[in-house]
Amino acid sequence: MLQDFLRDYVNRYGFNGYTELRAQQNRSRGVTMLNGSLTSNTSGTSRGLSARVVKGGAYGFASATGYGEDLDAIARVVQTASRNAAFLDSRVQRGKPDFPANAPLNRKDGFEQDVPVEQGYLLGIVDEIDAYIAERFPKLLSRRVFARVLDMEKLLYTSDGVVSHSFVPRSNVYVFMTTQDKDGQPVELYKVLGGYGNFLNNFPNAEALFGKLEKQYEQLILKADGVYAKPGIQTVILDSDLAGILAHEAVGHTVEADFVETGSVGGPMFGKQVASEKVSLVDIAHTAFGKLAPVPVFVDDEGTLARDQMLIENGILTGYMHNKESALKFGHLPNGNARAYDFFDEPLIRMRNTCILPGSDKLEDMIASVEDGYYFTDMNNGQADSTGEFMFGVPMGFEIKNGKLGRAVKDTTVSGVAFEVLKTAEMVSDTVTWTNSGMCGKKQMIPVGMGGPAIKVQINVGGRA
Amino acid sequence: MKQAFEVKDKALLEAADLILDEIKAVGADEGEAWISREALTEVYYELGKVSMVRSVFTDNVRLKLLSAKRKGSTTLNSFAPEDIRLAVQEAWQAAQAAAPDEAEGVAEPQENLSFSSGKEKPDLDAMYEQLDQILRDSKKDFPKISFDSIGIEHHYAESLYANSKGVRLSERKAYYQLTNMFMAREDGKTSSFNYFATVYEDPTGRVCEEPRVRRLLDESQRQIVTEQFPGSFEGDLVITPGCLTDILYYVADTYLEDGAMISGTSPWKDRLGEQVASPLVNMELVAEHPQLPGASRLCSDGYAAENMTVIEQGVLKNFILSRYGAARTGFSRSGNYGGATIFGSGETPLEELIAGVQKGILMGRFSGGSPSPAGDLSGVAKNSFLIENGKVTKALSEVMISGNLADMLRDVVAVSRERECSGYWLLPWVRVRGVTISGK
Repeated sequence: MLQDFLRDYVNRYGFNGYTELRAQQNRSRGVTMLNGSLTSNTSGTSRGLSARVVKGGAYGFASATGYGEDLDAIARVVQTASRNAAFLDSRVQRGKPDFPANAPLNRKDGFEQDVPVEQGYLLGIVDEIDAYIAERFPKLLSRRVFARVLDMEKLLYTSDGVVSHSFVPRSNVYVFMTTQDKDGQPVELYKVLGGYGNFLNNFPNAEALFGKLEKQYEQLILKADGVYAKPGIQTVILDSDLAGILAHEAVGHTVEADFVETGSVGGPMFGKQVASEKVSLVDIAHTAFGKLAPVPVFVDDEGTLARDQMLIENGILTGYMHNKESALKFGHLPNGNARAYDFFDEPLIRMRNTCILPGSDKLEDMIASVEDGYYFTDMNNGQADSTGEFMFGVPMGFEIKNGKLGRAVKDTTVSGVAFEVLKTAEMVSDTVTWTNSGMCGKKQMIPVGMGGPAIKVQINVGGRA
Repeated sequence: MKQAFEVKDKALLEAADLILDEIKAVGADEGEAWISREALTEVYYELGKVSMVRSVFTDNVRLKLLSAKRKGSTTLNSFAPEDIRLAVQEAWQAAQAAAPDEAEGVAEPQENLSFSSGKEKPDLDAMYEQLDQILRDSKKDFPKISFDSIGIEHHYAESLYANSKGVRLSERKAYYQLTNMFMAREDGKTSSFNYFATVYEDPTGRVCEEPRVRRLLDESQRQIVTEQFPGSFEGDLVITPGCLTDILYYVADTYLEDGAMISGTSPWKDRLGEQVASPLVNMELVAEHPQLPGASRLCSDGYAAENMTVIEQGVLKNFILSRYGAARTGFSRSGNYGGATIFGSGETPLEELIAGVQKGILMGRFSGGSPSPAGDLSGVAKNSFLIENGKVTKALSEVMISGNLADMLRDVVAVSRERECSGYWLLPWVRVRGVTISGK
């Protein structure tokens, strides 16, 4: 755990104008096994200090490694940030007043999850999974298993009197299996396990994962015998994972206030119908449906107390995600979306846990309602656009013919315009699942949670003619 | 500049010596260390204004040790002796828990060298002025353009590689980098976003006078109003230089690099020396080139980088393999491992290349999922225009392309004489026939 040298610094030097002072430590572990060989066995620590000073609306930021008891070193970082703010202020002469002060608070969150794990434990789990796959599925062309741990610890002091010390752990195991189709072409399917929490809690033993490996292999074989999807607009049931990335990519990015300011499609649609009335979308701060969300944020990196941000309510666009500056500009309240990835990063407007709220439909009824279409179950990457146009990869899915699941579908892509696709959402399932495994990129990478139920939509499928 | 081995910041040498001593002291057979001290200065524009000046100072250490071919590695950002000792212990414990791998090792002895380029100190005044000039020029010449963000960064780093076989390589490198994201808007309508990145050594240049930048900003202004077309067809795909860099990244990852080669999934794994692409395809990775200050002189596996041909007139000349990848697959290690990319220019003037298209699209950006191991890919053709009867006509949206990477390289029918340069890459326009293009 980071020692609190910032308190000593603040007690001795205080603050001179609006300042955020953050010590941060990202601890990581990684083990990769490719066809039984260990190709990566590494651990790491990224630890340092940053200061952000605002003068007349101009931001000065500075950071350095070497966070420790040397208070003069902390002072030098603050001085560099102040010098940067002064340089910019002298050029732009914006003359803006300071942000409205936050109420002082003092919080400590998440440390009950701070349970160190040794590298050997990760190696053991990965080795057992790899051995199981090698023994049970010998005909695979290749297999790759990797484990990742990322523990993010932040200690924040602001000139408003906010003190926040937080710990957010994430641990995942990724399993890739590759076989060959009848033409000898490689066909791959991967699954991700885990999410919020320390590695020991998420993966108490390898045996508990074996059932999932069997199911993954079964799906891979179906996919190898699968067909290419038909291109064009299709009736598709996007399972929970895909609904989550839809919420993130298709809508989330277009309603980040900085993107709205530049001209994203989210701007002119504020207060208007952008989705079927069955669709409500919220960016959860830390707690959802009585449980901790995958990436809980209690206080953001500007010192704002985090609250849920409603984005779409019964189909109407009702909110944006803000930092302090954009909230002031738009006349909204900031709800804690200013987040930085590493100690040397400044806070940006970021999503936390974006989730489509559950409806009342049963998945089996949704499938039965489709005469000719697809049920897509897995997603990989995705991208969004200022126009609301989005795409994401679909590595696993099935045809639906006359209300019944048919042949598996090979890798494809779905795309559309967010607000047009969501207007076609005619059924929404009653069960939400979360994913927390990838990174969202926007100048910096950052972990995000994505959640949702299954939804039935009309969407463009990038298949083959 | 290439010179005899020399390290300016002695703290790097001291850290390297301590790491190698500690690696030996714990009983490891071999070890290596990457050590760098970096300074980043940034002027940043967002939310409609020049918003921030940022300074970042970091010390970075990456170390690896081997014990009976069992590997452990650690990263940290401290040169403090107590932190280094703990990191070596952590790597040692990790290695004890690992299985042996005969392919493991460290870089072989080679000439110890140093390289240097660029100016160490940032010119903050020039950086601010350059950013302000971009805003003034774009407002005058491209009034519909709205920048989401612009970052002008100055990077300086001194890096040292040292291993237990006596290899010592270092690089002092400084450069400026411009990154951004922008879109065009008018009457409540918005284009797709686009971006460009440029690496350079002189921050006094007028960015908006560069032909590549003017083309991109102009195209975005013409993409505010787009059209869709129904159905799908097989047509010609003209890939712009900036988009080609993404396609070549996929090609390297799917067919040429460690992952695909070690796993055995690369469809080209048995095709070294064979024709894998159209004779018009020429691709190389470079360590040094007057137009490419973004090129790195050091490879991440502890070797000095060299210029290396990957594909020559469609024939596969080299895979892109690290020392480890080479040891695992039995092929030679590459002279370059993921460096700056050059695609050879062709004989066809760009205008003629487009004039030869009966029906197809000009693709400015590809937004798609990663290709399958077989090279199948599909995704949205962003920032694209329809080409009909040899003419670029309307801007398009919601257009998808699908095909196979190897097929696309095989079906290259024209490469432009003109090329564009980002400082990382030097690439032409490429025309591919027979790609499935789907509308709404």
